[in-house]
Amino acid sequence: MEEILTETIATEAKRTHRRAQRSKIVRLTVFYVAGVVMALVFLFPLIYMLATSGKSEITLAAEAGSVSMFLPDFSSMSTMFDNYKKVIVSYGIWKNALNSLTYAAVVIVLNIIVNGLAGYVMAKFDFPGKGLLSFLILFLIIVPVETSIIPLYSIVTVLLQLKGTASVLAVILPAAISVFNIFLFIQFFESIPKEYEEAARLDGAGNLRIFFSMILPLSKPIVATVATFCFIGVWNDYVWPLMVLPYAGEGEWSLYPIQAVLTSIKTIRGVTTGEVMASLVIASVPIFIVYVVAQKYIVQGFGSAGLKM
Amino acid sequence: MWGSVLLILACFVALFVAFSVKDVVAMKKRGGKYRIKTTMAAYGMLAPAIVLAFIFVMLPIIYSLGYSFTDFYLLKPNDIHFCMLDNFKDIFREIGAKGDMYHAIVNTAIFVVCVVPLQIGLALGLALFVNRKLRAVGIFKVCFFAPVVISLTITAYLWMQILSPSQYGLLNSFLGLFGAEPQDFLNNQKTAMLWIVLMSAWQGCGYQMLIFLSGLTNIRKELYEAASLDGATAWDQFLHITCPGLRSTFLFIVITVFVGACRVMVQPMVLTGYQTHTMTLSYYMYVQGYTYRWVGYSSAVALLMTIVIGSITLIQRRVLREKD
Repeated sequence: MEEILTETIATEAKRTHRRAQRSKIVRLTVFYVAGVVMALVFLFPLIYMLATSGKSEITLAAEAGSVSMFLPDFSSMSTMFDNYKKVIVSYGIWKNALNSLTYAAVVIVLNIIVNGLAGYVMAKFDFPGKGLLSFLILFLIIVPVETSIIPLYSIVTVLLQLKGTASVLAVILPAAISVFNIFLFIQFFESIPKEYEEAARLDGAGNLRIFFSMILPLSKPIVATVATFCFIGVWNDYVWPLMVLPYAGEGEWSLYPIQAVLTSIKTIRGVTTGEVMASLVIASVPIFIVYVVAQKYIVQGFGSAGLKM
Repeated sequence: MWGSVLLILACFVALFVAFSVKDVVAMKKRGGKYRIKTTMAAYGMLAPAIVLAFIFVMLPIIYSLGYSFTDFYLLKPNDIHFCMLDNFKDIFREIGAKGDMYHAIVNTAIFVVCVVPLQIGLALGLALFVNRKLRAVGIFKVCFFAPVVISLTITAYLWMQILSPSQYGLLNSFLGLFGAEPQDFLNNQKTAMLWIVLMSAWQGCGYQMLIFLSGLTNIRKELYEAASLDGATAWDQFLHITCPGLRSTFLFIVITVFVGACRVMVQPMVLTGYQTHTMTLSYYMYVQGYTYRWVGYSSAVALLMTIVIGSITLIQRRVLREKD
């Protein structure tokens, strides 16, 4: 009697367990199917871009309206990279990518030094006029900067006369200062204990020495966040460089960053859709690499930015 | 122009000296003392930031304010006259005559009203969707966020291909399968703005998703456990735990999305170019100031924009904060 009872209980338990397992599998399947569908909604233009970048105009016309528009054309493996070759060799887009990389590198270094130093002073020093500066920092974060793009343009061209090669400075210098980054640095530096700094001072280290060889290495997360934001900002900027940089003409070494040149590639006579797509892919690859590598810092940056209202 | 720069610089320095003296006096009253060496070092290290911020952040804001009362024409930088409120009169005349300024206001309003709820709703949905500990959730996050890191020039071009009026355009070729005629989505006065709204929300919502996610992780897990022990449904939990927990995040997102939406410029610029039915305020300001070089008039538009956006932001902050 007792044996039978324990047996029924065991089978019953097994059945409920199996049922729970089954409903869990159903729920997981629904979740992943929904996730894939949504991911496709967000990715389809990018998939289309990648697929099209390997195709000739004839293939594209033949494929119109079919799903193969979203798939790479494996039947013509040999010509798959022709568009890339054309864009890189004939249109010289690598020079503009190099320009963008150079601007980004200089801006990142300047931005971290200039705003980092300011943040360090505001967080750790006591001096007359500090109250006014703190107020100015908060005030300038709130005032929208985009509306002053035209006066900024007049300052750069009329006041500073940045023309020709010097106009590179007009791209770099305004990007080197960011009041918001100063704010981020202050927040982070304030959390570094005073004892570290005092110990370094006893060892005879100067202010700059303390900043570069102690404060900055201790602040890797915020430095990485600022660097990532700078890179994305400079690499993706397009209106401002088009306004201030001179147009060098086709085939000449232009100062344009890659985003600015994308808009003119479209207008070259005889350019094919595949070639434009190839240049777009080239322009998105670096930003993707940076994004995937620095992903967790971007999230941290948003996290710290998201709680300050 | 140098004269005015020196004048502003003098005012700035005077303000600085005044506040510094005030600080020194206050410090003396408390019996303390600033150390000259520390002060010198501080200003030495602040100098690059102060110089750059003065030239590239402060001056443009002050100039924008000042230019809006002048007839500054960029090709005649040495021939500037004060014209008091003429620019503002012109703006209101333009609005009254239903010119481009009128359309810019209407289109910007349509854009803001549509994109703010759509983008925030999408972002919240996505954040709730990926806020669980399962495999591959990280990949979904990367996918949803991908359009954010891709530049607007690129996404706009891709959407132009999708919405292209030719029969080979992506959307048209699929509609063609059902026998529909090719349509010119972006030149259609009724649908163009809606496509711009869709594209912006599609591109932007990944950013707010991440901010929502950082807000969601701050809500204590025990609250949900306690609620499900009491038999609360998922919807009850969302309404009474998630929503209150996200309030400050929500406030931040509403304000940033709203301000961003008010400034929409690049999307219509790259999708349709200068056209009445997709003209927005920022784009109008840019065209007047840069293409036509009427900096004075353009600055007046910018000043009005800043005042309106700023006051609406303040009201939003009040309203959303009061609920706490």
